[in-house]
Amino acid sequence: MSEKVILEMKDIVKDYSGFKAVDHVDFSLHKGEIVAIIGPSGSGKSTLLRCINGLNTITSGEIDLEGETGMVFQHFNLFPHMTCLENITYAPIKVKKIPKEQAVARAKELLKMVGLESKADVYPAHISGGQKQRVAIARALAMDPDVMLFDEPTSALDPEITGEVLNVMKQLAEKHTTMIVVTHEMGFAKEVADRVVFMSDGKIVEQGNPTELFEHPKSERLVSFLGSMLRA
Amino acid sequence: MDKIMEFLPFMLEGTVLTVELFVLTLILSLPLGLPIALGSNSRIKPLSWLCKIYVWIFRGTPLLLQLFFFYFFFPLVLNIQMNVFFTVVLTYVLNYAAYFAEIYRGGINSIDRGQYEAAFALGISRRQTMTDIVMPQTMKAILPPVVNEAVTLVKDTALASTLPVIDLMKATNSAVNRTTDMTPFFFAAIIYLIMTFVLTIISGRLEKYFSRYDAKEED
Repeated sequence: MSEKVILEMKDIVKDYSGFKAVDHVDFSLHKGEIVAIIGPSGSGKSTLLRCINGLNTITSGEIDLEGETGMVFQHFNLFPHMTCLENITYAPIKVKKIPKEQAVARAKELLKMVGLESKADVYPAHISGGQKQRVAIARALAMDPDVMLFDEPTSALDPEITGEVLNVMKQLAEKHTTMIVVTHEMGFAKEVADRVVFMSDGKIVEQGNPTELFEHPKSERLVSFLGSMLRA
Repeated sequence: MDKIMEFLPFMLEGTVLTVELFVLTLILSLPLGLPIALGSNSRIKPLSWLCKIYVWIFRGTPLLLQLFFFYFFFPLVLNIQMNVFFTVVLTYVLNYAAYFAEIYRGGINSIDRGQYEAAFALGISRRQTMTDIVMPQTMKAILPPVVNEAVTLVKDTALASTLPVIDLMKATNSAVNRTTDMTPFFFAAIIYLIMTFVLTIISGRLEKYFSRYDAKEED
């Protein structure tokens, strides 16, 4: 992780007609940093993530983002009428105007990285959820984003196949990809994240080094959240 | 047999006009429906209202009334002598565009929000999102109702016989009147059935093509 701050969010508010989904949040991110955002559902963690790339427009506050973002969604959102390869090459070709051969070569590399080179010409309907999510990760990476945003990437998957997606994300972590991961996977947060952010009721309640945060939670809300996760 | 040869050529001439009316209406109203559908969905309120009022009027009044209206509108109101076939085609196109617009709108609205979000996150422009992501996915959903409308159109062409054009229906009617024999009705029915049968074949092919990326049954 470098000292370079790549994202700076100041006093962010996202108000849904009176309900503050994100309530005066400050958040910054260094290049190469891996941040896991945890918290109960409805705590505003996904909303905060979606404010970063503009999927949600902020009500007030300031966002200073250097570079581009890539996003991985809970429900994959692959384009069903395109093959896996076309899903990955569409945006590089049409948005970044990268020559087709080059985009295809890069897409094949990425498919290989996520272990799905054999699925290049297959339509998303014919692969499993875990495979879809890996293709979706490859699709986001193909745009060479400076920050990867993961919005509960394993929540829609059966527990026994979350591992294949988490492994790909670990690979990215090893390559020092800057990532923000909204997740319920405490194991992943503990093992991979440089910093864990705990949100509740639209606010960042506590954040810090994962070992410290999980083993010595300071706030009562985090204690009870971690307790509920253990029971689950 | 002699009797048949007496009315058949006349009926076939009428068939040509019916087919022309059908084809022209489809070719023109299918694309015209799209801007109306997009307009109805537009965030620009006056545009959205305009498109919705258009659909309301053309779907909400009888096609027969619209035919009579335009038939008299050009000579009486605008003082223009308009070719009757042109007037008929114009009316059918305006009417069917309203139906197609509603079908398209339903198709577009059935696309999951996640598709727009994924496109947005990848930096794909709104225009390209519509043409390359949303539209191709709506094709499969809109095909059955579009074919349904096309089948209805085959039969609706018969309404044109109320104006001074000689379509299959008018030709059939006059054949029956002249020969006092009901067989022309059966011939006409067969010709209409052939036309709708051809449509069914074409739609089957298209449906297969637009389903090519779906999960197969055995999956």
